[in-house]
Amino acid sequence: MASRSGERSRCATGIEGFDTVLYGGIPRSNTVLLTGSCGTGKTSLALEFLIHGAAKGENSLFVSVTEDAEKMLANIIPYNFLSDDLVKSGKLVFVDLPVMYERLGMTKAELTMEEIDLLVTAIASLARELNTKRLVVDPITSVCYKLKTAEKIRDFILKLSKALADIGCTSILVSEVAAQSSAYSMFGVEEAISDGIVLMANMERRGDLLRTLQVIKMRGTMHSRAKYVLDLTPEGVLLVPLLKGGSTRS
Amino acid sequence: MNEKRVAQRVSEELLEVPPSSAISLQMSVDHYLDVLRGVLDLFASKKEADVIYVTSTISFEAIKRVMEALDIDTSRVYFVDCISHIMMGASSGHMDDHTTLVESPTMLENVMLKVEYLIRLSEAKEKVVVIDSINSLAIHNNNWILSEFLHILVSGLRVRDVYTIILSVEEHSTPEINNMVSLVCDQGIRTGPKED
Repeated sequence: MASRSGERSRCATGIEGFDTVLYGGIPRSNTVLLTGSCGTGKTSLALEFLIHGAAKGENSLFVSVTEDAEKMLANIIPYNFLSDDLVKSGKLVFVDLPVMYERLGMTKAELTMEEIDLLVTAIASLARELNTKRLVVDPITSVCYKLKTAEKIRDFILKLSKALADIGCTSILVSEVAAQSSAYSMFGVEEAISDGIVLMANMERRGDLLRTLQVIKMRGTMHSRAKYVLDLTPEGVLLVPLLKGGSTRS
Repeated sequence: MNEKRVAQRVSEELLEVPPSSAISLQMSVDHYLDVLRGVLDLFASKKEADVIYVTSTISFEAIKRVMEALDIDTSRVYFVDCISHIMMGASSGHMDDHTTLVESPTMLENVMLKVEYLIRLSEAKEKVVVIDSINSLAIHNNNWILSEFLHILVSGLRVRDVYTIILSVEEHSTPEINNMVSLVCDQGIRTGPKED
C-alpha cells in the first residue's frame, strides 16, 4: 500500500536504532537477507523483529531450520519483553522445519524441483493460515544446502518471497557466511534476489572485536549505509554509530 | 578551600544547571574525593537521580569502597567499568546488578551502548552520566576518536534530558583535551589547587 507521499508502507522492526537506519522500518512485504558469520547476533535480531511485531498484534512466525525452537530460545539472550503470552496466544509461533520435511516426506539429501514447490507451498500455506505478517527463516543457508544448485536456490527464494509478499508478509531470511568471506551469502544467489541485505559482522579494531551492522541494500526505501556497532541486551538490540576517528587518523 | 566547601560549592553550582546539560568539572587531583561527594550528594541523595558512573580511572570496586568510606549511598549508582577487565582484575564473583564491564577503554562504542542500556533500565525521573575521567580515556584513545565519542554521547544524552558530567584532572590535562571538553559542554566548573 502506498502512503500519501508515494513511499511504501513500513514494517517498523521495533528495534529503535535499526528503524532509524531504515528510515522507519522495512518496506512492507519485502524479503530481507540478514547475513553474517556466526556469533554476530543474527538470530537475536530476527527474533526481536518478530517479538515486537507479535506484541503489536502482527502474527509472527519463526521457522527454525537447524535447531529446535526450544533449544534456540534457551541459548538466546533473555529479552525482558518476551512474554509467554505471545506464544500462548498464537501471536508468536515457532515451527521446526525438519518436522515439516518429515511430514512432507522429504527425506533425501537433495530436494527436487517438485519438492521445492511443495516446500514453498507448505510454508506459504502455513503463513496464510496463521495470518502471518512477519516471518523469519533461520537459517536459509541450511535449506540451500538441500537445493545444491544455484538454479534451485534462485527458484526457491523467488517463489517463497513472492508467496509471502502476496499475503503481505515481511520476511527475514537469515544467511550464514564464513567469517572472512566478502560475499553476502554462501551460494552467491540469495543476495541477488532478496529485496534487502543487512550485513552483521565481527569487526576487529586494534585488537578489539566489535559486533557491527550495516544495511547494504533495501529496495523501496532510502537507508543509512553507515556501519553501526551493536550490543545484544535484555532490552533488545542496541545500536550506536561506529566511531571513525581511530580508523582514519593516527 | 576546605573539603566540605569544595563539595558544597560543586553541589550548589550543579543545582543551577537544567537537565540535558553537559558540564565540565575540572579539579585539582587533591579535590577528587570532594568533587565526587559534591556530585553524588546532589544527584543520588538530594535529587534521587540514577547515576551512571563511567569509570576508566580505577575499578568499580575501588571507587565503590571510596564512596562507602565517604558515607555516600551507592544504591542509585550504576557503574560502567572500562578498566577492570583490561587490568585482568574483573571477576564475576564481585559483580552485581549495578555493574557492567566494558572490556577495554578503547571500546568507546561499547561504553555508549552500556550507558544506553542503563538509561533504558532506569525508572528514575532524573539521570546523570558521569565520565571519570576524560584524562584516563585519553591515555587509551587518540583525540580524534575521543572527541567523536564525546560529541555523539553528549548529543544523545541531551535528547533524553540526561545530565552529563565530564570529570578532568587539571594536572593531567592538555589544551587539546580542554578544548575537546569545552566544545561539547554548556558549562564549566573548576576547583583549584588545594589550599594549605
